[in-house]
Amino acid sequence: MRKEMAFGFGLMAAILLLIAVFTPWSELNNGHIGMIMLALIVVAMMMGFPSAFTLMGMGVLFTWYAYHSVDPGTAVQQTLDLAVQRTYGVMTSDVLIAVPLFLFMGYLVERANLIKKLFHAIHIATSRIPGSLAVATLVTCAIFATATGIVGAVVTLMGLLALPAMLRAGYDTKLSSGVIAAGGTLGILIPPSIMLIVYGATAGESVVRLYAGAFFPGLLLAGLYIVYVIIVAKLKPHWAPRLSDAGRRVQLPAHLERLAARHSRFALPALLRAVVAPDADVPRRLAARELLLAALPALVFVFVMGLAWNALTQPQEIHDTSGLVEMGFDSGTATPDRIDENVGPGISEPPEEAAAPAIAEPPPLEALPALAEPPALETPPAEASPQALSEPPPLESPPALAEPPVDDTHALQPPPLETLEDAAAEADATARTPAPAAFWETLAIGFAALAVLYFFLSFPRLVVFRMLLTSFFPLAVMILGVLGSIVFGLATPSEAAAIGALGGFILAAVYLAMDQPREVRRRYWPIWLVLWAVFLSSIVWFVLYKAQITRHPVPHVLGWISMSAFLLWAVLACWHAKLIPMLRESVFLTAKTSTMVCWLFVGASIYSAAFSLLGGHQVVEEWVLSLNMTPIQFLILTQLIIFLLGWPLEWTEIIVIFMPIFVPLLPHFGIDPLFFGILVALNLQTSFLSPPMAPSAFYLKGVAPPNVTLAQIFLGSMPFLGIVIVAMAMLYIWPEIALWLPAKLYN
Amino acid sequence: MQKLFLAVDRLSTFVGRAFAWSIVLLTLLVSWEVFSRYVLNHPHPWALDAQIMLYGILFMMAGAYTLAHQGHVRGDILYSGFSPRGQAAVDLVLFVLFYLPGVLALTWAGWTYANESLAIRENTFSPDPLPLYPFKFVIPIAGALLLLQGVVEILRCVVCLLDGAWPPRQKDVEEIDVEELKAMVREDGEAEVKP
Repeated sequence: MRKEMAFGFGLMAAILLLIAVFTPWSELNNGHIGMIMLALIVVAMMMGFPSAFTLMGMGVLFTWYAYHSVDPGTAVQQTLDLAVQRTYGVMTSDVLIAVPLFLFMGYLVERANLIKKLFHAIHIATSRIPGSLAVATLVTCAIFATATGIVGAVVTLMGLLALPAMLRAGYDTKLSSGVIAAGGTLGILIPPSIMLIVYGATAGESVVRLYAGAFFPGLLLAGLYIVYVIIVAKLKPHWAPRLSDAGRRVQLPAHLERLAARHSRFALPALLRAVVAPDADVPRRLAARELLLAALPALVFVFVMGLAWNALTQPQEIHDTSGLVEMGFDSGTATPDRIDENVGPGISEPPEEAAAPAIAEPPPLEALPALAEPPALETPPAEASPQALSEPPPLESPPALAEPPVDDTHALQPPPLETLEDAAAEADATARTPAPAAFWETLAIGFAALAVLYFFLSFPRLVVFRMLLTSFFPLAVMILGVLGSIVFGLATPSEAAAIGALGGFILAAVYLAMDQPREVRRRYWPIWLVLWAVFLSSIVWFVLYKAQITRHPVPHVLGWISMSAFLLWAVLACWHAKLIPMLRESVFLTAKTSTMVCWLFVGASIYSAAFSLLGGHQVVEEWVLSLNMTPIQFLILTQLIIFLLGWPLEWTEIIVIFMPIFVPLLPHFGIDPLFFGILVALNLQTSFLSPPMAPSAFYLKGVAPPNVTLAQIFLGSMPFLGIVIVAMAMLYIWPEIALWLPAKLYN
Repeated sequence: MQKLFLAVDRLSTFVGRAFAWSIVLLTLLVSWEVFSRYVLNHPHPWALDAQIMLYGILFMMAGAYTLAHQGHVRGDILYSGFSPRGQAAVDLVLFVLFYLPGVLALTWAGWTYANESLAIRENTFSPDPLPLYPFKFVIPIAGALLLLQGVVEILRCVVCLLDGAWPPRQKDVEEIDVEELKAMVREDGEAEVKP
């Protein structure tokens, strides 16, 4: 404690000293006052008063001072107007609206009680890799942190779950704790993350583009962490000892044990035989269930490829659709974000009138989900079809593959969007367009991959697959669904977040129901199934309609019935699976955390208005330009400042206060705000890990065994801090890591 | 005195929690609109306005609740090292210097702002307009609640300066409830990873 206090007071004294030395006291102008205000806020924040109100109070006082220096008569009224308009601007921000929704999703997922299953499954799946426990910890952290976005909860949970497991397995204390502290913070980087929304709202940058940009850097950082752990485990085996064979063996259920003993080690043929010729030991139903499980990857692949083939070979439709993708992107993604620039607190001068909330119209009808066709529509149909067809179509594909083509004779109608073209479309809507070569190549590669998969699918692997299916895949599908629909422009971030929150609720309901005894579950299971069938009926209909297998849109009556069924299920599930306590907690925590973030925005918005009223921006700009820095020097300087600020401050405070100052300078140096944002997001990982204020380390210390000291945790985090800096350097050298995907998607 | 503190805490908590449920409404409203727009091809022009209002009400009305349970982020580096008296002194000065001007401005100006909106019966700018003035009244109401809670916090600082210890607060849900998380992880030993 003493050391931190000394550090804090030292920093404060240094800042005050800088103010005293550098301020030209004799010729003080408003710009200088602005700079003093900027330095004072850091001092004031370290005092420990709630930051939102520190910002708000200083903002109001300095705004009054700024107006007063111009016209003392109206200063009070103008200050009041500005404060309330800035507040109203935050209240009507259509970017920040995603914050409570994502938080809600995170709290629901966190309480779905699946982290234990997740860690266990990933651990078994990775058990052959050196340092497997640490790798499994990192992967679990990355996935769980991405889904929940709550660093503290992830670090605490993993501290309770993975740290004892690693220590018992003889792992080095520093390595184990560093892995957890660093892995848990990945959640604020890998999208969908709150931090990028906050940055987007502050810097006036599109959240959609930020998500697309942060995806690969996030994976890169997680990948570097994993590579580091594997290398350490190879170089210093006593830091991460191999697990004993007993610890790695997968426990087979009795019936699978018997099948494995009787048949070959290939799971698929063995299961097929068990279904065709069942015996007393393994009843046909059981074997069939396992077979279905084993065949799942193939079925999903065939289904997806079938839909893609159907979409690709629609006659007449092709050129319209590619045009519509562009339109969908313009209306669905870019518009709300552009509008936000008027609302967000990052703008330099206070607005005359807060932007009305109603500007953002719902995206026009053209922005419908099914329009994101696979690429390569323009590629001329190639000769590849016969040869690709002659690929050995392995396994049980034929029935599912046959499905789409069978129905398509009456499905050749384009959707009603293009009513003008209906007549023309019907005129020659007889023959399908041949699918492009890329499709057949994908198909061939996919089948080859499936063949390899099934060659290696032994019974233990089938069990591992099942474990992953019940823990890893639901989360992964949810994350990718939310992220994908945002990045591909199908939904706005707030829409995707709301669906994600519903997904989190469903996950929690299912997992908590699974925790109940079977007899209890059996009582309400049929009701759930019926309600879900009703709900899914209109979704299936919709998919068929979008795939143009049926030409009737979903009837409104059915839609309403479906929605009611879902709502009824949600209410019943609360009661059946005893979700009310969990829901209550999630709701209250969502309220508290989003209040914290949004009030910080209110404060920062007033504060930055005061800063620009005082002309602080001009002073900073003149000063920075007078230094004649190159872009790289400027980047290093800003990132260094952010890194240093990460010691005493938290990421929210750093973003809302300092981004409005840095971002306007970027055009001078020709730096893309998107690129800068990703660098900042990477950099702020360190604010969780760098002493003396390292929330991650403190959370971990709070639950670690007593013999794990804070110093060990800090030391253990150091290599990961280094890796963050390496990742930033890599990002600087190859900016395409961040910029490729947004450019590909939106330009 | 203590009774007064807890009564105000309870009021803030009650209001904050009541409006916290708007996150559920917001989730359902957004999801319903997504379903209606995409699946049924039937968008509602007013839905986005309503969503934004729900979001604005949520965090404004929970401001005092969050303050009552010390949920606003603060720079912890020195504060946690102070004695309770030191903490109370810092808080007291900054509440008067920073908090009161800001929140007073918000309440006062919010009141005129909302009344101006009421006078013209302001609506959202949309083909299906919603009345906007009730939403604007959220600002002074939230400001008044914050002011009340702030006065209580100031009195708490005074009490702490006199007694040398912080007056007790009510318990509330915590983001990191270690006991609860422990129960979540240890509930049954079956999935425990064996080394």
